[in-house]
Amino acid sequence: MTIFFFIIAVLMVASAVAVVTFNNPLQSALSLIAHLILVACMYAMLDAHFLSAVQITVYAGAIMVLVLFVVMLLNLKVEQPKPIGLLYLGIGIAAALGFAVIMIPVLATVFTAVTDPIAPLNGTARDIGRLLYTQYLFPFEIASVLIFVAIVGAVMIAKRNHAVVEQIADQDTKAGGVQ
Amino acid sequence: MIPISYYLVLAAIVFFIGALGFVIRRNAIVVFMCLEMMLNAVNLTFVSFSQSLMDLHGQLAVFFVMVVAAAEAAIGLAIIIAVFRSVRSVETSDVGEMKH
Repeated sequence: MTIFFFIIAVLMVASAVAVVTFNNPLQSALSLIAHLILVACMYAMLDAHFLSAVQITVYAGAIMVLVLFVVMLLNLKVEQPKPIGLLYLGIGIAAALGFAVIMIPVLATVFTAVTDPIAPLNGTARDIGRLLYTQYLFPFEIASVLIFVAIVGAVMIAKRNHAVVEQIADQDTKAGGVQ
Repeated sequence: MIPISYYLVLAAIVFFIGALGFVIRRNAIVVFMCLEMMLNAVNLTFVSFSQSLMDLHGQLAVFFVMVVAAAEAAIGLAIIIAVFRSVRSVETSDVGEMKH
């Protein structure tokens, strides 16, 4: 069990670093999908079975498909990394070390205060659903309204605005004419 | 049984990698993905504490974070498309019109 944890943890950190370091946004998105599936594995190890399933369907499924669609739709060029100045690198390392010196004693007390569970808590769909439809019924209904507003808002924002499009087309033809 | 603090340390590491990416990357879509990664790290912390305190409410909080993240993904990507239409770029350094 502990070995599985460390394998998944190392892969999680590696995929997180890959998301940040890949220059091609498509590769970053694929690394993020791997990362989200590994997070789902962590939820399963923590006995949060319902969240593990929701993580894969909602995050790795729905949200990442949306991101991949946008990446492919915009057909972006590969980002060229800017060289980092030596001064900024020095300031960054100094700031990171200072932050570590401040945070390590605080984190040490926090982590010793955390107690491990005596009996594992099972986050099954049954238990989550019972809470969701009794105590959290109002937030649950509000969440559906929020998603509805988000759908309408996304359509309104992404809709082609004719005035703006014509203005840009004019600018493009003028720029082309000058060249 | 793996100690809960291991999960917390892992979540903290992933959160900081996400925060670093949020600051250093210029592609708006990658910035957005780093944001999702940070949200996931916080969710992992929620589930860990839910186990540690033997309280299911932490997992409900994660559920609602996922709902808000889904709404945010739809709106965020729509904004990125709208910005790309007018600026022809998704580099955050190219979108500086509102500074002046």
